[in-house]
Amino acid sequence: MASPVPLKEKRLLDVRISELPSWVLMRDFTPMGIAGAFRRGYDRYYNKYVNVRKGSVAGLSMVLAAYVVFSYCLSYKELKHERLRKYH
Amino acid sequence: MLSRVVLSAAATAAPALKNAALLGPGALQTARIFHTGQPSLAPVPPLPEYGGKVRFGLIPEEFFQFLYPKTGVTGPYMLGTGLILYFLSKEIYVVTAETFSSIATIGLLIYGIKKYGPSVAEFADKLNEDKLAKLEEAKQASIKSIQDAIDMEKAQQALVQKRHYLFDVQRNNIAMALEVTYRERLHRVYREVKNRLDYHISVQNVTRRKEQEHMINWVEKSVVQSISAQQEKETIAKCIQDLKLLAKKAQAQPVM
Repeated sequence: MASPVPLKEKRLLDVRISELPSWVLMRDFTPMGIAGAFRRGYDRYYNKYVNVRKGSVAGLSMVLAAYVVFSYCLSYKELKHERLRKYH
Repeated sequence: MLSRVVLSAAATAAPALKNAALLGPGALQTARIFHTGQPSLAPVPPLPEYGGKVRFGLIPEEFFQFLYPKTGVTGPYMLGTGLILYFLSKEIYVVTAETFSSIATIGLLIYGIKKYGPSVAEFADKLNEDKLAKLEEAKQASIKSIQDAIDMEKAQQALVQKRHYLFDVQRNNIAMALEVTYRERLHRVYREVKNRLDYHISVQNVTRRKEQEHMINWVEKSVVQSISAQQEKETIAKCIQDLKLLAKKAQAQPVM
């Protein structure tokens, strides 16, 4: 079942499940690699939603919503004490 | 994963544009590209007109497309409603005082965006267009100046071909001046020669006249000398008689 495209260059959604561990291990986990991954993700988002001629508020609001959700997750431990009922 | 579909399609995958990567995972992945080969940077593709579509300003359209084959149009909405109710009922989301303030804030934001969004967008577009127009103007100005320089060069080159006219005119002028001088001198020669000939002629005329006059004087003198005194008296008496006859005739005629 050798695929015609080498494993290293496939995207995540194209990798078979059996190849998943080897694919994960093959990724570049050096600091430069991780920084490169962040840069690529940022570039993808930026070029899709912000760097256009007629951008909308969605490009910014999605980032803010993600931040809100993330900070809610971080502070859930303290918010647990303000629940209205004890048993759900 | 959909890797089996991809495997059958990867063998015939065409090197499509990079934008094909933005296809949602639910669409047929016949055109997904892999990270092979060198990406080419030139010519730079133009900016896309609109960004990726987003519903409610929060959820990208790809999510709806991803769920469409399995759940139809209302699937994601049901999912959203169910999730919200679940979070509320299990108190994964806790209702505090902040909830109401955030509801008010978000409501105000949405109202503001809906009301003033288009005008702000227009303003930003106008700014962009002004920038583009200035750049375009600079480009056109430089193109025009270079074109003018080219045209002037061409004109100069064309002029070089017409240089011979200048020399022709000068040559013609010189030839005319030479001709004029030649004719002038010819005329002068003619005048001088005529002058000398006239002199000779007038000398001849004067000599002849003098000779004639002298001869006439001499002939008169000799004739007068040859007339004796007696002949003179007889001639005068005859003349007087003739005159008297003539006077009588003249007196007789007007009377008749």
